[in-house]
Parts: sequence; C-alpha cells; structure tokens
Amino acid sequence: MLKHNLLIIFRKFKRNKSSFFINLIGLSTGLACALLIYLWVNDELNVDKFHEKDSQLFQVMKNTKNAEGRILTFEWTPGPLANALAEEMPEVEYAVPVQFSTKEGILSVGDKHIKAKEQYVGKDHFNIFSYHLIQGYKNKVLTDKYAVVISEELAKKIFHTTENIIGKTVEWEKDKFSGTFFVSGIFERPPSNSTDQIELLFTFEFYKEKEAAVNTWQYNAPSTYVILKKGTNIDQFNKKIGNFLQEKTKVDYHSLFIRQYSDKYLYGKYENGVQAGGRIAYVRLFSIIALFILAIACINFMNLSTAKASRRMKEVGVKKAVGASRKALMVQYLGESLLITYLSLLIAIILVELLLPQFNEITGKHLALNFNVNLILSVLGITLFTGLISGSYPAIYLSGFNPATVLKGKLNTSISELWARKGLVIFQFTISVILIVSVFVVHKQIAFIQSKNLGFDKDNIICFKKEGKLEKGLETFLYEVKNIPGVLNASCHLPNLTANRTGTDWVSWEGKSPEDKVFFKYLFAGYDFIETLGIEAKEGRSFSRKISTNDSKIIFNETAIKSMGLTNPVGKTINLWGERKQIIGVVKDFHFESLYEDIKPCFVLFMPNLDNMNIIVKIKTGMERATIARLQKFYKEFNLGLPFEFKFLDDDYQALYESEGRVAVLSRYFAGIAILVSCLGLFGLAAFTAQKRFKEIAIRKVLGSSGFGIVRLLSGDFTRLVIVSLLIALPVSYFIAKHWLDNFAYRIELELWYFISTALITLLIVWFTVGMQAVKAAMANPVESLRYE
Amino acid sequence: MIKTKNLKKIYTTEEVETTALNKVNFEVKEGEFVAIMGPSGCGKSTLLNLLGMLDNPSDGEYYFFDQEVSRFSERQRANLRKENIGFVFQSFNLIDELTVYENIELPLLYQKVSASDRKKRVTEVMEKMQMIPRKKHFPQQLSGGQQQRVAVARALVGNPKLILADEPTGNLDSTHGEEVMELLSKLNENGTTIIMVTHSPAYAEYGNRIVHLFDGHIITENMKGKFHV
Repeated sequence: MLKHNLLIIFRKFKRNKSSFFINLIGLSTGLACALLIYLWVNDELNVDKFHEKDSQLFQVMKNTKNAEGRILTFEWTPGPLANALAEEMPEVEYAVPVQFSTKEGILSVGDKHIKAKEQYVGKDHFNIFSYHLIQGYKNKVLTDKYAVVISEELAKKIFHTTENIIGKTVEWEKDKFSGTFFVSGIFERPPSNSTDQIELLFTFEFYKEKEAAVNTWQYNAPSTYVILKKGTNIDQFNKKIGNFLQEKTKVDYHSLFIRQYSDKYLYGKYENGVQAGGRIAYVRLFSIIALFILAIACINFMNLSTAKASRRMKEVGVKKAVGASRKALMVQYLGESLLITYLSLLIAIILVELLLPQFNEITGKHLALNFNVNLILSVLGITLFTGLISGSYPAIYLSGFNPATVLKGKLNTSISELWARKGLVIFQFTISVILIVSVFVVHKQIAFIQSKNLGFDKDNIICFKKEGKLEKGLETFLYEVKNIPGVLNASCHLPNLTANRTGTDWVSWEGKSPEDKVFFKYLFAGYDFIETLGIEAKEGRSFSRKISTNDSKIIFNETAIKSMGLTNPVGKTINLWGERKQIIGVVKDFHFESLYEDIKPCFVLFMPNLDNMNIIVKIKTGMERATIARLQKFYKEFNLGLPFEFKFLDDDYQALYESEGRVAVLSRYFAGIAILVSCLGLFGLAAFTAQKRFKEIAIRKVLGSSGFGIVRLLSGDFTRLVIVSLLIALPVSYFIAKHWLDNFAYRIELELWYFISTALITLLIVWFTVGMQAVKAAMANPVESLRYE
Repeated sequence: MIKTKNLKKIYTTEEVETTALNKVNFEVKEGEFVAIMGPSGCGKSTLLNLLGMLDNPSDGEYYFFDQEVSRFSERQRANLRKENIGFVFQSFNLIDELTVYENIELPLLYQKVSASDRKKRVTEVMEKMQMIPRKKHFPQQLSGGQQQRVAVARALVGNPKLILADEPTGNLDSTHGEEVMELLSKLNENGTTIIMVTHSPAYAEYGNRIVHLFDGHIITENMKGKFHV
C-alpha cells in the first residue's frame, strides 16, 4: 500500500508540475523562515540557561520609591547583603556580591600590557555560576584576597600558554584598585549565550579594602546573586526578604525581591516595580511571524489541492467503490502533503545554510545548524506539523466525496467550500498587508529617530574614555587636542548621553513650596561641554576658564526652569545637595537619554575630574580621517602607547535602537517573503481558475468580449478578495503600529498615506500576478478551447 | 442475495427535493444476470449506487445476504463492498496515474492481499482478458474497448460475488460493446451475479431478467419472454 501511495504521489507530482513547484517553493521558503526563526528563538530562550543550577540561581533586585512616588527597579544592592543573606536566611545555599566595572584597566606581565574589564566577586562565585575552570578548584580560587582568576584567552595573550601559570604574578593598573596579584585559576571562555562575558575576576575582599563605602548598607553598587536550596518556595522567600533592607538601613523606601538569573535577558524591563516584558516581546513577535509565514505556505497547498479536486474525483470514487475506507484515503493524502513537506525541508535546509551568514549579521548572533538530537527532533517536528496542517483540509475534503456523485463526474462545490478557500486567501493577504504596513512604520520611526533634532549636534563627535595618563592630565590633554588641525572643540562629561540613570530631588529654590516635587537628572561636565555638543544657549553663559568658582555654578535646561517656576533665573542661587549654587546659564532642551524618554528637568555641573569621564572631540566635517589619525598619534604619545579606542557618538546613539534596527531589517525580509509566498499561491490559483473557465472565456470572446474584458473578469474575483483583506488588515495594522509607537516618547504620526500606499502596492502585486494568467487566457484562440467540447 | 423493501432515495438541494427512487421492492438471487432499463433520469444509476452501497437510501430497507445494511456506516459499507462487489462504469473510471497492471491490482490492495498473491491473481485475470502485453500501459494509451476490459478485469480480480455494471457499453462502439457483453455473460455462466444498467435493448437481452424503471418506480419485470406486471 505504501508503495502504491508513493507511486501515485510521484506520478501526480510529475503530471502537475506547476502546482508541485508552487507548493515546493512555498513550503521550502516557509520552512526556511521558520527554521531561521526557530534557531534565533531557541538561542534567545537559552541565554544564560547553561548554568547547572539555573532553576535555583537568582539575582537579588531592589525596588526604590522615588520622590514622585514611582518605583524604580535596580540591580545594585549594598555590599554586605550577600553575606547577610547567606548567614540569616536558611534557604540560601550560596550568595555572592559581584562588582562590575564600566571601564577597562590594564593587566601587565613584564612589558606585555593588555586592556581588560574586571569584576570583583565573592568567594563562592564558581559555586553559583557554572563557568568551567580549566585550572584551579572552584572552592579555592577566590579565597586569597590577592588572587585573580583569568580567562583562557587572556592567559594565552599575556602568558602565551595556559600551562604552569598558577601562582604567577600579574600587575593590574586601574586607579585605586591597582596592585600585584597572583593567578589562582583559569576559566574557559563563557559560551556565546552567556550575557556575562567575564575576562578577569578579582576578589570582593580586595574591593572592600579599596572602596570602604561598599562595607556599608547605604552604598549600593554590587549586584547580589544567590543559589536557593532546592524546593524553596520563591513567593514565600520574596515575602521574607521584602523588608530585609529596611531592617538593616532603617529607610522605608527600599524593598528587595529575587529574579531568576536567566530571566534577566528576556524579561529585563521593569515599570514602576512590575516586570514589564523586555526582549521576550521580540521573541514572541518573530515566533508569530514564523507561524504566519508557515501558515501562508500551508494555505497555498490547501488551496491548490482543493481547487484541483475535480481532477481527483475519479480516483476517490473508484477507490471508494473498490472498498477503500475514508481513513485509507486520508492517509494517502496526508502522506502526499507530508512527502512534499519533507522534500521542501531538504531545500529549506540548504536555504538556511546559505542564508545563515547574512541572518547572523542582521541578528548579531552566531547561529549554526548543528544537528544534535534536539535540533533534529524539533526540525522534524516542525515539518511534520506543517505537513499535517497543509494536508489536513485537502485530506478531509477529498476523502469526503460521495463516490456515487463524483463517479458521475459531478462535483458539488458547496458555498461553504468556496468560502473556505476564499477565506484562506483573505487570511494570507491580511497577514501580508499587516507585515507591509509594519515595515513602513518601523522604517519611518527609525528614520525619524535618526534625523530627530536632539538639541545638540551628534555628527562628527568621537568619544573615548578617560584612562591611563589622562586620569591626571586631562586638562593638558584637552588643551593639546584642541590644537590638532581638524579638531573644532573638545570636552568631557558623565554619564553617557544615551543612558542617564542619575536623579535627585534634593534641590530647593526661591519660592519652592512643600508640594513642589521636581525630580532632576544631571550631567557632570568640563569646560566647553555646551559648545562641543552645540547645545543652544537660551540665556546666560557656560562654564568659563576665566573664573575659578565654576564649582559653585550650575546650568539648567529650560524644562527645569519651567518646573521650578523661576523667572529671570540667571544670577539666582539655588540649593543643591545642601550647597549653594548660582545659576549662570539656561540651555534649550536637549536629549540626554534615548527617545523612549521625554526630556526631563536637568542640570549640568562643572566637575571634570571624576573617574570614568567620557571625552568628546568635535571634528571638522570632511577632515575626519586625517584628524582621527593625528588624534591617534597624539593619544598614543600622551598615553604610553595605549591603543586609541574610540566611538562615534552617532554610532553610540544608533546602538540605542539596535533592536529596532534589527527588527526593521528582518521585518522587511519577512514581509517580502510573506507577500511572495502568498502571490505564489494566488498565481497557481489564478492559473487554475483560468483553465477551469476556459470554455466560458472562449464563449465570451466569440460573443465579442475584448481581451481586456477577459482580464478584468478574471482579476475581478481576486481583487475583491484582496480588498476584503485590506479592509481587515489596515485597521488591525493601525492598532499594532500605534501600540508599538507608544513605546517612544518621540514618534511619528501614523499618516493615511502609509495605508494607502500599502493598499496600492498589494493591489499592484496581485494584479500583476493574476494578470499574467488572465492575459494568457484572454490571448488564447477561442476555437482551440471550444473544439474540446 | 439482494432484497430491498420500499427503498427510497431523495436528493435535496436548497431549492428542490427530487425523489429519485420511490418505494422500490426488488430482489436478486445468486447467479442471476439482471438488466435494468429505463429512460434517462428514471433512477437506474441511483438504484445501482444504493445496491453497491456507494450511497445510503433515504428510507426503506436493503438486505445484502440477509443482512440489513441501509444504516451501515461508511466504514462498514466499504468493508462489505471490497469483499463482495465489483464495479464496471460507463466512463471506465481508470486512474490515470496508474498502469493497467496497477489499476487491476487496486482492489486487492484494499483487501490487504499479500504481494505474491496479488501478483498471481492480477496476472491470472490479465491472461484471461488477454491484457498481458498492455500491462505497463497507462489508460490514456488504450482504446475505449481496451480500457473497459481493464475496468472489467479490475472488477473481477477480487473474485466478487456480485458485479454491478453501469452502462458498461455506453462509451463503446458496437464491436467493443459486444466483446464486453460476452465477457460479462461468461462471468455469469461461471456463477457471478451481475446487475447491469443499460440503454440498449439488445444488450439487455444478455440478462436473464430485465427490470424497467420509470420515474423512480419499477414498472415491469421481464423474465426472458415472460411478462410480470
């Protein structure tokens, strides 16, 4: 029977080449998309999941209520927390503090110097996280205060080997954390799906010695991670630690809770203390897109198979007459769809192999088709599912024929069947239209963000960190930099212009009432900050070298002045953090955060000597290359041969919208594929309709219809279907687009023409697809068709 | 072998209700060769489809080997069909994708006959029908008469007790038509019961009983020369 089924399937494929290829192309494209998205989603879902005790591994999080009553969620906690939890909470098996660092230091052995980013971690670090130690024991490597555990790569770079270096000393240079350490262990590079790509681990004991504040409960800098004992009830534990900080610090606006460590990546966003999604939104979005594209391909199969049912009537009738059960026929038709889906899978795998490099580039991943048991089972499963879905409707439909009727050559197409087929086409185009609108909106929004006037000029500004010799000699350095031909200006500031996590309400001013609760953001800057960025001054002046009292001056933005309700602010004095500051200037509003945030009250203080400052240099347009080369040369001379690593502010800014950018590119491809596969099906359907109506077309032509009349006749049906799709899809896409744009404080308005042009594009594509078939039918000689009678 | 009581078949569409068969009482004994005649639309094919269990009656009873089958499920009917009945159609109804050999083999596949047995039986039938040289041909490559011979061979291969033939000669010229009739006759002589629908009085004479249908009723039964009313 199997042989018989296979035989008949192959002969069918051979006889109906066009629908066979339409199905093959559609299904293999659909499967290829689904596979790519599966690889991506699977990778996303497995980020940070490799830790052996993943289900017990939690990060302690802190909710803090600010002056406005909003709850902000932080990852940083007091230094003593880890030890206190380990000692006081019986549920805690291990707890460690981890102090991350935002900039690199220099690791040296002899005259070999290498930049690296370190962490200061508690002694049980390797009991909590499953990083693989290739040298050293997990209970011992972090017990000595001056121990350092380094990555295999770092070891190879600095020692050229990983053998026999345990116990060897290294020099570490980084502000007050500099010193001599001995290597106690070497770990393997964390897998690529680890968010924490550790390079260099020092002990938290050492950190505590150098940064005394971390020993207090008031200073929140390290993150705290715990392993909870098996069987711990998470809700109860959360209740238990909720007030833990309040008891220690006696302030009531902090509360603690735990979050599974591996949830950080996908569920990283908190709004007002409540988990509010994160990257998971994109995982869901793309999973849905994959399902939709597969559905579109399945629908092609369903529609073509059922439309061509008249060709199979005889087969069904005869087989039933000789005793085939409905089940046997369903098995045959499902077998047919499964066979073609598995054939498509082979092509899909080739497509995926070809497309993976580009896909990785777009998604920023390192995905590969490594056929392990999991992947094979999933791929076979997805294919089985696709085959069963596409085969189900035809199998039920075809096997349900009444043999007595079909053997007479009659096929009673009921209204419901026609509607089912039309409904499926409408569904395909609805999805395609929604995707096309999304592409429009995402692109417009990204373009809008990129061209939005930020209140400063981000072009041709390069940034780098203050480090090495610059720590002490920044003023000299900046002075010299300004003399380099091609450099227009230079300054420094903190924090980044793309992420500002500062905030204070400890500000008072003349006329402030007790109800006034203004929450200010702030920036620390050096001379020429306003000028280098090209921020527009509204009144007053900026910090000046001519006076020595810049420390007691302050510059506000317009929003801040409005919030405080000050008139003629320049010259007035306010009180900040218990010190008097004189307002010397007001600047027009500029964006010091991403465009997800609106502009908040903000002030700029003169404080160029902080650690970690960002240095910004404005370069003359057209001279970028030469100027950067000169800067590089100068930097190296000034900073002892340290490599000059810089970024363009513009790139930094683009990186803010990295996910959006990726979504934009991907959605463009997927929308293209969706419409292509939909049209492929339509093409097949149109060809078949033209064929089925060939007699009608011939008679109409004989009776005097023009070729154009025939084209219109054939396109009309499909046009109506597409118009119905548009009527459904356009409102739906409006709501989806609006919902997405609501994420942005600054966003485009949804304009009518996005929708009109989507409608036109869709109609044009459909007319082109159907038109090709219609023209062919209209051109045929009517005598040819009528002769068959 | 076959007995119907008040067999009724009504076709309904959204607008009209057509009574194709009305209270048909009909009996066929084993070994008979019955010809059913009547004008177009009188219900001949409907009756044949009901007898062949391709369709269920709207009312009445149908006894097949003393078993009431009119309310059988599709699966039960399929099982009875494949063991007992062979069909021959006017338009041959060979499957285009299958060769002569494979078309004949088809009923055996659904009867779950073993491969070696299938080969034996198909070859036997083909020999009887002198179809061996055509075994690998596809239906499109054969003449009408040849196609109908394949169809008869397919009806025979399962050794059915009953052959239902719906105008088996309708699409054939007289030479080929007679050839098929001779074939059916011979089968009947060897014990196979045959019920055949035909338009042709000449071919109806091959049967040992002629039943005339009109507007869904049996109006006469003619036992070779004798007239019953």
